[in-house]
Amino acid sequence: MDLDDDTSVLSTLKSFNSFISLPEHPQRPSDHSATGSGILHNQYKRSMELLEAAEKVQSKNRYLQLDQEKKRMEMSHKRARFELERAVSDNARDLEHEVDRNQDLVGRIKKLEGRETDAAKNLCEQVEASRALRKNLDGLNKKIDERDSRLNTANQTISSMKDEIRELKQQMQNKDSTISAQTLENQELQEQLDLQRRKYQEVSQLCQSLQAAESSCSEHVIKIKELERRLAFQEEDIAIVKTVKLEVARLPDLEKELKRLRDDNAFLRESRENCSLLKEEVEGLRRKLERMEKTKEELVNMELEKERLAEKLKAWENLGQSTGLNIRSESSHTFHLLISCHSVSVRSVERSQAELRAELSQQRSRTMEEQKKREAQDALVRRLQKRILLLTKERDGMRAILESYDSELAPTEYSPQLSKRLREAEDILQKTQNHNAEMEVRVHTYTNSKPQANACARTFFSSSRQKIEDLEAERQRLEEQNNILEMRLERHNLQGDYDPVKTRVLHLKMNPTSVAKQQRQQEVDALREEVTHLRELVRSLQDGGALVHSQDESNLRKQMESSELRNQRLKEVFQRKIQEFRTVCYVLTGYQIDITTENQYRLASVYAEHMDDSLLFKKGSSGSMQLMETEFSKTLGEMVALHLHHQKSIPAFLSAVTLDLFSRQTTL
Amino acid sequence: MTSTLKGITLKGSAELVAEFFSFGINSILYQRGIYPPETFTRITHYDMSLQLTTDPKLKNYLTNVVSQLKEWLFECTVQKLVLVITCLETSEVLERWQFDIECDKSAKESREKSIKTIQDEIRSVIRQITATITFLPLLETPCAFDLLVYTDKDLLVPDKWEESGPNIINQSEEVRLRSFTTSIHKVNSMVAYKRTDSV
Repeated sequence: MDLDDDTSVLSTLKSFNSFISLPEHPQRPSDHSATGSGILHNQYKRSMELLEAAEKVQSKNRYLQLDQEKKRMEMSHKRARFELERAVSDNARDLEHEVDRNQDLVGRIKKLEGRETDAAKNLCEQVEASRALRKNLDGLNKKIDERDSRLNTANQTISSMKDEIRELKQQMQNKDSTISAQTLENQELQEQLDLQRRKYQEVSQLCQSLQAAESSCSEHVIKIKELERRLAFQEEDIAIVKTVKLEVARLPDLEKELKRLRDDNAFLRESRENCSLLKEEVEGLRRKLERMEKTKEELVNMELEKERLAEKLKAWENLGQSTGLNIRSESSHTFHLLISCHSVSVRSVERSQAELRAELSQQRSRTMEEQKKREAQDALVRRLQKRILLLTKERDGMRAILESYDSELAPTEYSPQLSKRLREAEDILQKTQNHNAEMEVRVHTYTNSKPQANACARTFFSSSRQKIEDLEAERQRLEEQNNILEMRLERHNLQGDYDPVKTRVLHLKMNPTSVAKQQRQQEVDALREEVTHLRELVRSLQDGGALVHSQDESNLRKQMESSELRNQRLKEVFQRKIQEFRTVCYVLTGYQIDITTENQYRLASVYAEHMDDSLLFKKGSSGSMQLMETEFSKTLGEMVALHLHHQKSIPAFLSAVTLDLFSRQTTL
Repeated sequence: MTSTLKGITLKGSAELVAEFFSFGINSILYQRGIYPPETFTRITHYDMSLQLTTDPKLKNYLTNVVSQLKEWLFECTVQKLVLVITCLETSEVLERWQFDIECDKSAKESREKSIKTIQDEIRSVIRQITATITFLPLLETPCAFDLLVYTDKDLLVPDKWEESGPNIINQSEEVRLRSFTTSIHKVNSMVAYKRTDSV
């Protein structure tokens, strides 16, 4: 129906359009024929007519349309009714169905509710599982983050290690260069060491020789000392001989004196002995005296007692007279006997006393004589000591003269005068000593005989003594001067002084010093010429050669830059190669080998479970690799025992580890 | 050399002394480092090891001086032999090794002294020379040496020789060393060196 409506609409439209177009066609020629305002008016009329027609048409159309619509509506109404009825029936059926379905659905709903609860439980479980999983995820994410961070750090470490490798390689190169320089130095030092050792050996030889020389020196010194002693003895002997010769004249007097002295000595000894004996006697007598005095006292006491006893006797006699006679006779007899004995002893004691006194006086006189003799002997002894002193002085003088004669080795200008003076002094000394001796003798005789002439002799003696002392002092001074001059002479001789009158110093014209000086002068001249030449060159360069200078500089800089570039390229190439090699090693062997410290290598497996799992190998001094303890290696105890200890193969061990880790990885 | 006879003649004594000077000068030059040690070679003489130079110029110079010295020793006209060491930079004398020679001119016939004794004495002198080096101040600057001969004034100066000064050290310390005698010639050794504090 709609289609019909549509077609009717379409047809009306078509008719309208045809209607519109028809008037247009005839209008066109009319437009061409008609002119001016009449045309326009006509046109306007036509247009109005047209419009009206159009409007009519339109209204018709609308009417038609509306009719159509109405019809349609009615149709539709009918249809709608039919449909509604159908729909109702359908709906009823549907309702029934629906009811059935509802029931079904209710059942299902119940089931579904049961399932829902289950599902809810499942949901909860799954929510929890999901939470757990999320946690795991978080954990894993964290791990991943950690691993990422570790990776980053590892990468950083790798980069730093690579930098270090670069630096180490640079250092190695530097060290190589320094090593080469130092080996050269070492060689030089070894050569110097050899030289020094040789010198040391020579020095040690010298030391030994020195020691030998020292020992020989000491021996020689000892010998010298002995010789000096012998010399001294000889000099003494010489002096003694001379004095003996001098004293030959005095011998008879001395002999006489000797005899006298000996006699005196013997006499004195005897007198001494007598003295000692007399002393003993004196002592005995003294003791006797003491005893005598004691006995005297006893005597006195005894006499007192005797008187007392006499008185008693008288009393007793009186008593006896008064009493009897017997007692008197016996006691008086004994009494008289006692008295007689005491008187006898008293008399003897008195006699002995007198004898002792006489002896004492004799002894005293003898001791006086002996004391006088002793004093005389002391005087003699003093005189003899003085003579000894003079003799020793003479001997010293003679010795000094001998020494001065012996020490003069080379004739010099100074010594003849000194020797002359010395001889004069010695002669004067001898004369004075002789004079002195004579004077002493005279003095002795004078003192013995004439004490009045002593004064002039003494003055003469003293004057001669003073002369002697002055001469001695002068001689000593001269000796010291002589010694000083000799030392100076020696010093000058050591320094190389010479007497131009007698000596001449010669040397070869072509001697090493002059040759060396000439060479040095030539070197100096050559150097000076070079210096001037170089200075001129420098001046010329500074004035005119600025460009050349800068060109040279730029050339040098370019060379530097090119060499630096080359270095950098080499470094880059080297780095790349190293990286390539390391990655290839890692890929092929499954181990990343890092050098941690000197001779320590860390191996990390591709299939390692944790980032930290690594094996540490240390290179020993002999070149062998040894596995060090790490946490990871502790877990591989069996493999270590089997492959390293038993089989002693590190590649086998490493491949076993990789296989083990790989197997673990694939199972997971 | 007086090999078979026990006695020493004047000629033999002159040869012995000249030989001693030759070895002594060589050892002093070696010890003081005037010439580099590699130019010296070790030889054995006087029953000890000594250093002898191999530098041809130096050898030539030494042979010239020693041969002339032998003549003078035979004529008994030489009084001293001095080895002077001078610093090249400052031209001042640093060391002076002086050997005084006393000749017994009355030696017409040969004297009785065994060569072994003379050699022992020479050996001890050379040993003492090497020992004295230890206390001598170091020669740090390059040095050169010269040999001076003190002779009698009336001696004819041979050509190639000229007169020179005594080259005495200013402010020196002197040390007297051992001497040896062949019973015809007596050689006293001494060394004078410049005091180090005055350098």
